[in-house]
Amino acid sequence: MSSYELSTTEEEKRQYIVVKIGSEQYGLDISNVDNIVRMQKITRVPKSPEHYRGVINLRGEVVPVMSIRRKMGLSDDVFTNASRIIILKLEAQGSVGIVVDEVKEVVSLGSDDIDRNVQNTNREDSNFINGIGKNGEELISLFDVDKIADEVEAA
Amino acid sequence: MDVSQYLDVFIDETSEHIQSLSDNIMELEKEPENKDVVNEIFRAAHSLKGMAGTMGFKRMQHLTHDMEDVFSEVRNDNIKVNGNMIDLLFNCLDAIENYLENVKATSDEGTEENEALIKQLNAFLEGGDGSVDAESSDSEEAPAAEDKKEEASSGEESGEAEYLSMPVDDGIREKMKEAVESGQNLYGVTVHIDKECLLKAARAFLVFKAVEDFGEIIAYNPSSQDIEDENFEFTFSIIIAAETNDLDPVIKAIEAVSEIESTDSGKVTPEDYEEKKEEAEEKEPEQEASSAPATAAPAPSAAPAAKESPKAAPAAANNAAASKTNKPVATRTVRVDIEKLDSLMNQVSELIIAKNSLVSISATDQGVNNQSFHEQIEYLERITTGLHESVMKVRMVPIENTVNKFPRMIRDLSRKLGKPMELYMSGEDTELDRTVVDQIGDPLQHLLRNSADHGIESPEVRKERGKPEQGSIFLTAFQEGNNVIIQVRDDGNGIDIDKVKQKAVERGIVTPEEAENLSKKEIINFLFMPSFSMAKEITDISGRGVGLDVVKSNIEALGGDVEVKSEFGQGSTFTVRLPLTLAIIQALMVEVSDEKYAIALGSIQTIENVPVSEIKYVQAKEVIHLRGLVIPLIRLGQLLDCEEKDEEPDNLIVVIVKAGDNYAGIVVDNLIGQMEVVIKSLGKVLENNKFISGATILGDGEVALIIDVNAMF
Repeated sequence: MSSYELSTTEEEKRQYIVVKIGSEQYGLDISNVDNIVRMQKITRVPKSPEHYRGVINLRGEVVPVMSIRRKMGLSDDVFTNASRIIILKLEAQGSVGIVVDEVKEVVSLGSDDIDRNVQNTNREDSNFINGIGKNGEELISLFDVDKIADEVEAA
Repeated sequence: MDVSQYLDVFIDETSEHIQSLSDNIMELEKEPENKDVVNEIFRAAHSLKGMAGTMGFKRMQHLTHDMEDVFSEVRNDNIKVNGNMIDLLFNCLDAIENYLENVKATSDEGTEENEALIKQLNAFLEGGDGSVDAESSDSEEAPAAEDKKEEASSGEESGEAEYLSMPVDDGIREKMKEAVESGQNLYGVTVHIDKECLLKAARAFLVFKAVEDFGEIIAYNPSSQDIEDENFEFTFSIIIAAETNDLDPVIKAIEAVSEIESTDSGKVTPEDYEEKKEEAEEKEPEQEASSAPATAAPAPSAAPAAKESPKAAPAAANNAAASKTNKPVATRTVRVDIEKLDSLMNQVSELIIAKNSLVSISATDQGVNNQSFHEQIEYLERITTGLHESVMKVRMVPIENTVNKFPRMIRDLSRKLGKPMELYMSGEDTELDRTVVDQIGDPLQHLLRNSADHGIESPEVRKERGKPEQGSIFLTAFQEGNNVIIQVRDDGNGIDIDKVKQKAVERGIVTPEEAENLSKKEIINFLFMPSFSMAKEITDISGRGVGLDVVKSNIEALGGDVEVKSEFGQGSTFTVRLPLTLAIIQALMVEVSDEKYAIALGSIQTIENVPVSEIKYVQAKEVIHLRGLVIPLIRLGQLLDCEEKDEEPDNLIVVIVKAGDNYAGIVVDNLIGQMEVVIKSLGKVLENNKFISGATILGDGEVALIIDVNAMF
């Protein structure tokens, strides 16, 4: 799917969905995103890892939803009208939803626009950030989508 | 001919035949003189051979062929059944099963020739043939002779007289016999269609039409369905039962159909298929009756049967063969009674009708307040419930297929261990979901081995204890509510509680002081701990320490549980409890701090209203005293970290659940009601949850979690 879209934009560019969590912007590779849904009732699952908010009903399937804020050690989510759940399709974990404060736009970033040198940042989320994208004046932290949920099992 | 499409059928049917052979050989061991059993065996072996031949599995065919020879001699009273022979036959069955495993894994039979087995079989035949010579009875020898000949020529593919090499099953053979008895003649016809022909199925149809003017077609090769679907090359064969004595008009009629290139035909008899079946390559059936009895006898059986245990070698070779896999063919299929499918079909059509009436109601002015709307909803509900039941029924298979290999296993164990014992089975027709049946075999096998090895005492000990020398093992299955219970019981030694206790202390699981205070049940539960083997020495039957813990985890993975009762000196009973179905359950919806949970109805005993004042404390834990039982209370809200309620009501709603012999009272805030819920997985990242076994989606789209009652204890 994404390869098709690539051919319509300029060569070697990938598309990212830009979301807002707290005051920062993050990017999710569009090829991993299955769906974006509005906030809905999340059923708490007792005795599950703390950063999982629970499960939702996505067209008849039960999908776990995690709070990326809790995961990154930020203040807890405040659900607003702009809050969305982004459903990721992961190879290892199946579908997982993450809660974001706002979905802003879709940007195309070429490899020139991405700074991969993020190893030395001493942040809690550095494990699953694999690059910083530059979109004009704005900086976008790019999630390593496969690691978001992966990390969970180790924790 | 490309036969890969028949592989599934072949695998299914071969398994069935192997099973029937196994059963009947057991029977034969008990009653060596029973001719019905011998005939049954003969038929099964024969079908096996035929099927292997059709599929081109030459080695398998060779082996079954020689087995069949032995049976044929037994049938003709030329060989007497004895213990050695039974053992040998079982070894052969194992070898065939190995072939089948290979076929399943790689679509190929592998390279093991099993020559040792074949030699042994021939050694038996040789012994038998001596007596044949004495009676100098040509006719009796004929079948064997014929078969030998076929074997010689089995390599070549003859394009002629294919009707002689049709696969013919028992049913068709019966029909053929009936036809002959009623004075009809049987003709085999092979029709070659022009290679340019575009509508093969249509030509075939015209041929059938033409033939039916003369008589009845009783067998098709390929099957009539395949012919209809054009699943054949440019030839097909049929067997016709007709009054007429002259085949020519029939052939003329066939050849009158356009684009028919040529036909081969001839008179056939049921015996042709009885003795030689599909791979016979001779052109004229009459010829071989008189041919070559002389060449028959001892030709290939020169070497005496030297190897006693040829089993290890084939296994190794088979593994080697399996490693160079082409493709696994183990598809999981369910054979479904056509009636079940019919009822499914009916319900689906009703569903469509119900949908249509709803559509028409929604088009009327009154809309959803209409009386008939509600009627339709009720109707819809009935249909969906019925549909659910039907689909579940389709998935249900009797445990028979899994358990009927056990008598054989016990027999082998009995010989190996030198302890006479017998397995009594009942309730083999109990049905379970296919997935459960598939996986219950290993645990049960383990429990049975356990009983045979550790349970049943040696005959001497049994005598001393005043028990019959022959030990008994019982495998009983029955349905109880929403569960199926399978019990493995033996009248053997039982579990020596003191020994287990001692062992547990030795292994440092408990201190000697703790051990003294343990209940019998708790001690028995040690047996289910990983690598806790009670065997003093390791045998190849059990005692490696990978035992009951695996049984337990396997059964729990299926949503069931296992329990032991044992009386030292008198025997043990292992009770396996399995859920009838996996996907949809009846559940009670409850509410705790505004969260909704489902509890499987099957595990609920009663629902009680308990005044707070009646709560008692045992070891600082809340319990209630209910009709003679002391039941621990579980505050679901606390257990699941729900938000605390401000005040405690005067009366608690307690759902009494039971798992095995254990009771617990789950305290909930509210009861919502009974519901049929569809079980869904929580998703990979959350599914390891200890207290939650799954989730379900409620009518309003909300997700509710299903409590795992077994985790409450």
